[in-house]
Amino acid sequence: MAVLTVDNLKVSFDTPDGPVSAVKGTSFHIEAGECLGIVGESGSGKSQTFMAAMGLLPSNGRASGSVRLDGHEILNLPVGKLNDVRGADVGMIFQDPLTALTPHLRVGEQMAEVLKVHRGMTGSAARRLCLDWLERVRIPAASRRLRQFPHELSGGMRQRVMIAQAMLCEPRLLIADEPTTALDVTVQAEVLDLIAGLQKEHGTAVALITHDMGVVARMCDRLEVMQYGEVVESGSVGKIFGAADHAYTRRLLDAMPRIDAGDAPAPMPAETETLLDVDDLRVEFPIRPESGFFRKPIPLKAVNGVSFSLARGETLGIVGESGCGKSTLARAVLRLIEPTDGNVSWLGTPLTDLDKRAMKKERKDLQIVFQDPLASLDPRMTIAASIAEPLKTYRPDMTARERRAAVAEMMERVGLDPDMQNRYPHEMSGGQNQRVGIARAMINRPKLIICDEAVSALDVSIQAQIVKLLKDLQAEFGMSMLFISHDLSVVREISNRIMVLYLGRIVEMGDGDMICATPRHPYTQSLISAVPIPDPDLERSRERIRIPGELPSPLDLRAALRFLPSKLAAGDEDYVPRLDQVAPGHWVAEHDPLDRILAQAPAQDAL
Amino acid sequence: MFAYIVKRLLGAIPTLLFLVVAAFFMMHMAPGGPFTSERKLPPEVLANIEAQYGLDQPLWKQLWDYVTGIVLHFDFGPSFRYKDRDVNDIIAQGFPISLTYGTLSFIVATLIGVSLGIAAAIRHNSWIDYFAVSLGIVAQALPNFIMGPILILTFTLWLGWLPGGGWNGGQWQYLIMPVIALSTSYMGNIARLTRSSMLEVLNSNFIRTARAKGLPARSVIWRHAMKPTLLPVISYLGPVFVYVLTGSVFVDLYFSTGGLGQSYVNSALTRDYAVLLGVTILYGALTIFVNLLTDLAYAWFDPKMRY
Repeated sequence: MAVLTVDNLKVSFDTPDGPVSAVKGTSFHIEAGECLGIVGESGSGKSQTFMAAMGLLPSNGRASGSVRLDGHEILNLPVGKLNDVRGADVGMIFQDPLTALTPHLRVGEQMAEVLKVHRGMTGSAARRLCLDWLERVRIPAASRRLRQFPHELSGGMRQRVMIAQAMLCEPRLLIADEPTTALDVTVQAEVLDLIAGLQKEHGTAVALITHDMGVVARMCDRLEVMQYGEVVESGSVGKIFGAADHAYTRRLLDAMPRIDAGDAPAPMPAETETLLDVDDLRVEFPIRPESGFFRKPIPLKAVNGVSFSLARGETLGIVGESGCGKSTLARAVLRLIEPTDGNVSWLGTPLTDLDKRAMKKERKDLQIVFQDPLASLDPRMTIAASIAEPLKTYRPDMTARERRAAVAEMMERVGLDPDMQNRYPHEMSGGQNQRVGIARAMINRPKLIICDEAVSALDVSIQAQIVKLLKDLQAEFGMSMLFISHDLSVVREISNRIMVLYLGRIVEMGDGDMICATPRHPYTQSLISAVPIPDPDLERSRERIRIPGELPSPLDLRAALRFLPSKLAAGDEDYVPRLDQVAPGHWVAEHDPLDRILAQAPAQDAL
Repeated sequence: MFAYIVKRLLGAIPTLLFLVVAAFFMMHMAPGGPFTSERKLPPEVLANIEAQYGLDQPLWKQLWDYVTGIVLHFDFGPSFRYKDRDVNDIIAQGFPISLTYGTLSFIVATLIGVSLGIAAAIRHNSWIDYFAVSLGIVAQALPNFIMGPILILTFTLWLGWLPGGGWNGGQWQYLIMPVIALSTSYMGNIARLTRSSMLEVLNSNFIRTARAKGLPARSVIWRHAMKPTLLPVISYLGPVFVYVLTGSVFVDLYFSTGGLGQSYVNSALTRDYAVLLGVTILYGALTIFVNLLTDLAYAWFDPKMRY
């Protein structure tokens, strides 16, 4: 029998311009113990459907239709009645674990209040049950976590706390709204495993709201595809992935880059001229320890001796998990952050020695596109003014008319209607704003573009368009790119070569396709095996390589040798792993055999 | 935490010294002195008086004597205007009065302002909200020098309910109008600040989580939303507390309360260096102390702050 039945649900929001309809009469149901995927891009109404069902719409939201939980109507119940259901029969976890927990309450206090409200349970009995659930979601040192504040835990751990909290009363239904979107791939894989495990063990039904077809392939039994507030296709995962009926579903599936298939750029011919040469680059930040009267800052080695070169027209992908130093590396190359040590040589000129004025001249050829398209544009400048700004700096000879023409041409080139030139960033979509960012970076025809998570905040279909745009621009103008992303599938799609970073050091570097198909370093292997593939049969039969513990802190000196436990055991904590060339152009950092790494105790106390 | 407090208090010493030196020289840069007046004194008499107060010494010597007097004997020197009274006496007489009605005004402004703001945010877009917002705007437009005459007109001259001025040992009838006059505009600000802060917090992700957990509304508001709501309010309250003590010159004038504000302004007008410096140091020290309290309160409200 269905746990949740949604019938002709409509959601609208009152705005000064009249009501805006977000969900236009959706109907679906979730069976006991099954995992239903609700897929769609931003604005499809997939989250609002469930917010409305649980009475969590903002105060200007209106819902009509019917939502039945175990046959009882719950839509638009008064809050008092609804509170018997929320947290008890239905648990919820949300996208952004960093802000989803109350900052000033300890983990144990937040969890215990659920038991107090729904079970009347307090004191040591409640504490024992909370502890029990923290252990079930595999949080290391669980009893200490109860006394910690949310900000003392990593993102992955906070999401586990959210899951434990949602499961305390063993709900019949768990609503997971983009539960892994902000997390690193290996953490994502673990959180998904956890949810799948709970579903199996406790028979909890799961509503998994996501935009990621790979996640759907791994987790879901059935699927509802939503677009513009309507369900456009529904059915079993096998059927939809096999032969999608609706054009939108097919588009979503096609837009999804894959780590195991699809075109990837070929390696560059060996004789191509080198543009950029980075030698032993280091960036350190002084960090003050938390306690002690006389606190001496200790260096956080964000980039710890990275060397690479980049050829004309080549794209080098830089991947790694949060805190690995990939953004710092990119900024240090451009001297947006001053490197502590090492050399950056650009066309034979050492950038690191230049004074401010000489550096400014070089910046004409060195451009960067940032992650958050809206935040990285000046909100008070029209987009045409933003795009034209580099021209004013570097081409003072141009007349206003010439500048306008150049801007219009570039806007057209990046797929923006030149009629939009007087718009402001907040009047445009994320994808359009990112095109503005690219146009601004490209307007002086630079020789190097750094894309720092440039497509990470975008919907899959928009992401595919932007990646295609970058590739087209590269084919036309021949610039080189450093493409930074935590998403390996996207990086594979665009990069000739890929560099894998771990805690500020290169662990593996080589041709893109080779890194993804036959990774040699255990860390690369674990990353790649954690990337979900949008193919249910393949995804469910894959074997994952799990390196014990969470991603450690760059301040933890021992963590640097996580893949060389033999050196740690020998007491050689300052050892720097060698980079060996295992095949032409394929570099792998020295590491112990996989069994030896997997055998070590999980890294304690990931910060 | 203890180390932090000690550090902050030690850091206050150079700040205060700087304040003394800067105030001292600024005062001597202003034309005129405590004994210049319409009727010219014979030069010998003037020289005599100045010698008695040490004003014939070079400036640095005067500064040195002043500072050592404070450090060694806690002596802020004699008043230049009032014979037989020294600065310690004047502060001891005026400050308790300022402190009494200032603290009361502060408490009234905070309690009413915060309650209004919270009520308005919880009942967003209801009549309570509109009432609180309008009251806040009106109150903000009524600083104490406007409120003073309005209150006296209404309650003393028309209704005859309350005495029009005086202190009388701080009896409640004498306190009501000064406190209302001083607290109104701050109350409006606090209400507005609390309301917008609470609205923002109620829209945040962790409040959504708290609701999704099935917690009753009062628990969501008091346990989860309250502390983050008050964070910006607290950083405003610190300076307000010092303002209500320093900004009370109009209250002293209108209601003849005899607080320190009036002495402060008078001493500046008459170049009574010693009183002016003494009160400046008092307010400086008070500001530093209240800032420290604000920061400590922050740590209690936000666990991310650790000292």
